[in-house]
Amino acid sequence: MRALTRHRKLSAIWASEEGFKGWFSTVNHNDLGRMFLMTAFLFFLVGGLLAMLIRAQLATPHSAFAGPDIYNQIFTMHGTIMMFLFAIPTFEGLAIYLLPKMLGTRDLAFPRLTAYGYWCYVFGGAMLLVSMLLGIAPDGGWFMYPPLTGALYSKGINTDFWLIGITFVEISAIAAAVEITVSILKFRAPGMTLARMPIFGWYALITSLMILTGFPPLILGSILLEVERAFGFPFFQAELGGDSLLWQHLFWLFGHPEVYIIFLPAAGVVSTILPVMCRTSLLGYGWIVASMVALAFLSFGLWVHHMFATGIPHMGLAFFSAASTLVAIPTSVQVFAWIGTMWKGRPELHLPMLHIIGFFVTFIIGGLTGVMVAVVPFDWQAHDTAFVTAHLHYVLFGGFVFPMLAGIYYWLPHVSGRKRFFHLGELGFWLIFIGFHVTFLAMHWVGLLGQRRRISTYAPEDGWTQINLISSVGSFVLAIGIAIVMLDIILHALAQRKTRRNPWRAGTLEWAMLLPPPAYNFASLPEVTGRAPLGDDPKLANALARGEGYLGTPRNGWRETLMVDVASGRPEVLVLFPTNTQLPIAMSAVTGLFFLSLLIKVYWVTPLALAGVAALAWRWIWQGGRKNDLAPQTVRPGCDLPHSTAVDRAPGWWGSLFLLIANGTFLGSLLFGFAFLWTIAPGWPPPAWVDASAIEVGAGLLAAGTSATAIRAATRANDAGRPVLPALSIALTATLAMTFCCAALLWRTPAPTEHAYGATLFVLGSYGLFHTLLAVLMVVHLITRVLLGYTSVARRAEFPIIRLWLDYIAMIVALILLIGHMAGWFA
Amino acid sequence: MTDLLRILIAPLVWLAAFISVYALHGLLCALQMHGMVLGIPLERLSLVTAYGLAILMQIVLLLAVYRGWPLAPSSEFVRFVSRVTGWTGLMATIWSLLPVMMTTSC
Ligand code: HEM
Ligand SMILES: [Cu+2]
Repeated sequence: MRALTRHRKLSAIWASEEGFKGWFSTVNHNDLGRMFLMTAFLFFLVGGLLAMLIRAQLATPHSAFAGPDIYNQIFTMHGTIMMFLFAIPTFEGLAIYLLPKMLGTRDLAFPRLTAYGYWCYVFGGAMLLVSMLLGIAPDGGWFMYPPLTGALYSKGINTDFWLIGITFVEISAIAAAVEITVSILKFRAPGMTLARMPIFGWYALITSLMILTGFPPLILGSILLEVERAFGFPFFQAELGGDSLLWQHLFWLFGHPEVYIIFLPAAGVVSTILPVMCRTSLLGYGWIVASMVALAFLSFGLWVHHMFATGIPHMGLAFFSAASTLVAIPTSVQVFAWIGTMWKGRPELHLPMLHIIGFFVTFIIGGLTGVMVAVVPFDWQAHDTAFVTAHLHYVLFGGFVFPMLAGIYYWLPHVSGRKRFFHLGELGFWLIFIGFHVTFLAMHWVGLLGQRRRISTYAPEDGWTQINLISSVGSFVLAIGIAIVMLDIILHALAQRKTRRNPWRAGTLEWAMLLPPPAYNFASLPEVTGRAPLGDDPKLANALARGEGYLGTPRNGWRETLMVDVASGRPEVLVLFPTNTQLPIAMSAVTGLFFLSLLIKVYWVTPLALAGVAALAWRWIWQGGRKNDLAPQTVRPGCDLPHSTAVDRAPGWWGSLFLLIANGTFLGSLLFGFAFLWTIAPGWPPPAWVDASAIEVGAGLLAAGTSATAIRAATRANDAGRPVLPALSIALTATLAMTFCCAALLWRTPAPTEHAYGATLFVLGSYGLFHTLLAVLMVVHLITRVLLGYTSVARRAEFPIIRLWLDYIAMIVALILLIGHMAGWFA
Repeated sequence: MTDLLRILIAPLVWLAAFISVYALHGLLCALQMHGMVLGIPLERLSLVTAYGLAILMQIVLLLAVYRGWPLAPSSEFVRFVSRVTGWTGLMATIWSLLPVMMTTSC
């Protein structure tokens, strides 16, 4: 087959629908990555506009521009948009667009999930925008501390927009994180061992794992606060056994890792671009991986440093102060690796390199002020002043925006296939750089002079007037810089100069393809033998286009790719991807309906929406099956691989595993909250304890054990070709029994509105009930699949997936019943 | 996956130990457990014991990583990275929990 014929055939198979209809049905990472990035950039503009409003307001004392109410909305929305709707989605978009290309594969592990996540992000973000347009935007600051955000002090719907909208958006973060993790571990080019992975893959892997464990506490916190506001469960009310500090713990358990979730991908971009700009290879690959792992874990042990001023015992402060200073070490390893790389090579001052230098300067200053506020006595002075806002912008803008600008200019030719023509970007850089430092150096200074953050105005006698004016002028210079960059990019998109294939002479695989990239990425998948495949073999792209790699022959209209062994990259499984579908957007619309019904309190819609989500999810899973065995297929002469329905570890198994890790973290946070309230909160013991029942605990434990055993028996029976329905019916009975026990626990729970004890127990029981219902649905699904002939001795992949879920559910049900009833016995 | 675990385990155990000791400390303060054992205040004794245990655990992990136990790492790269993260776990434990020896407790 000629290269051109192959290209045409593959394009026909992988293409999205024509025109704008294609946006709604595409599941391709090329499209979705770009859509993510564009949307995130739009939100950056909105957030930037709000920043300009803030600076306009603060430019002069007694400014009449916005009153305190509106100002509260402005800075809250600025922070919220930048963190949740710009920074995280930018990482997601970048990873979605780049990873399959860098890893040498054709798409991400779960294409429909990519689309679902994208639409959840769009709909959730739109909710927040609408609230802003209506003038009822959240106004409690981006970290939404109760009691300020409780029902008593925040009566309107403003706070609900935040709690519900952000939770909706978090779904997309979790979806993307599952997707990225599985893709990096299992969807790489053959031969790409862990050690040969492009460094960006490591950063993205670590970031995704952090999202999976960092976001659940926030999701939990948001749910609890929303339930408190809507139904009066007193989780955060001290009079009724709650504690507003619980929110701070949950929020910062998420919030500090969040800072690194934002920084790590940016560092990944720097580590990718820097060696190319310096015409060398990255120094200390292994050291960098190790220190990023260290940084990720350390960042989970720092959350209390945001609570230094809340009256925590001395030793507690000392723990977190010590741990906070510790992060300087892996960060320094990272910075020295970059300096060493520059030293080793010959830096060329292209535009991306300018932004990287801007990043260095800014980020290092931000790191140093960070060490300053990690010191408790200093923090007590600087807490809640403009010094802190200035510090966080040095880290966030310096550590994220500059690297992203570098990334934009570096990958622009990749996305567009064009060459930059007008050189406005350099001017843009200098304006941004100078504007940024003027703005925020001034804010450090005025913060030390005592200007608090989040104040809408100040008096001339405060002596902050000139500095604020300087800062505001700086911010407008910065804004002009951003506008010029935008103009530069628009002109770039209009200019008609095609770029060379690998314009930066980079070594990573994303440059071994046509530019702009075709929907299928690689005409055939490479066999990787080193860390810089393209550097080792500059002719690689041509060889792949000639079909010399894996899967070089398009067949049966299949969207094919390979799954490999985690460590060695040995090809293991043939995966056939789903094609274009509107199912993801439909499902996220119904998910949105669920959130909307909660927001506007039309509760009769809520169960309908949930049922809708369940029905669509059922359909989603249903589409993946086959009614006949598919013999192992040749993926390259001499290499035959089984199809993913005929293995024990299908993509769905891996996805479930990581979803369950996030889920387990959610439950862990809930248990933490329970223990925290119990021991720390005032107002305990509660007026009434649960009326414990040994019979129900016993029955629940028995059912849990039975469900785990029965699903194992069913798996074994299927493998041996025996009938599986007997074992599955036992599993079904057991899951029903577990459902009953969880419902009974809810029944026994003392009134949840009366005391935080009952409230927490109610949530715990509901969590159990939700999962047992899920278990019932899953077993019913499996039974239907068996009855309709979707399984066979070979097509066994669904059994281990259901088994994984049932194991998890059995475990948590046992735990919940024990903890729930035990409280009653102890009391 | 075992390779990934090998890389992640020492910092993971650090995190678990760090949070547990913090929780233990919170608990001791909340319950106001006073009393002396062998002439040492009970709170201090339990915290220091926990500190010692945490360090011991890290040392065991580090040994395991160096010995390639229970399975040998699949590559030189994994061996190297897991050794560095192993040392990280140990050092982080020693430094971040050091306050149990130095500061007043509640
Ligand atoms: C485009 C340039 C930017 C300017 C001029 C700017 C300016 C400001 C100012 C003046 C405040 C303080 C408001 C107050 O305390 O009264 C603020 C708050 C904040 N900014 Fe920015 N900012 C910019 C970009 C960003 C970016 C890129 C991020 C994150 C990725 C970010 C995240 C935040 C956060 C989290 C807050 C705290 C909001 C709160 O107190 O609730 N900003 N910004
Ligand atoms: Cu922090």
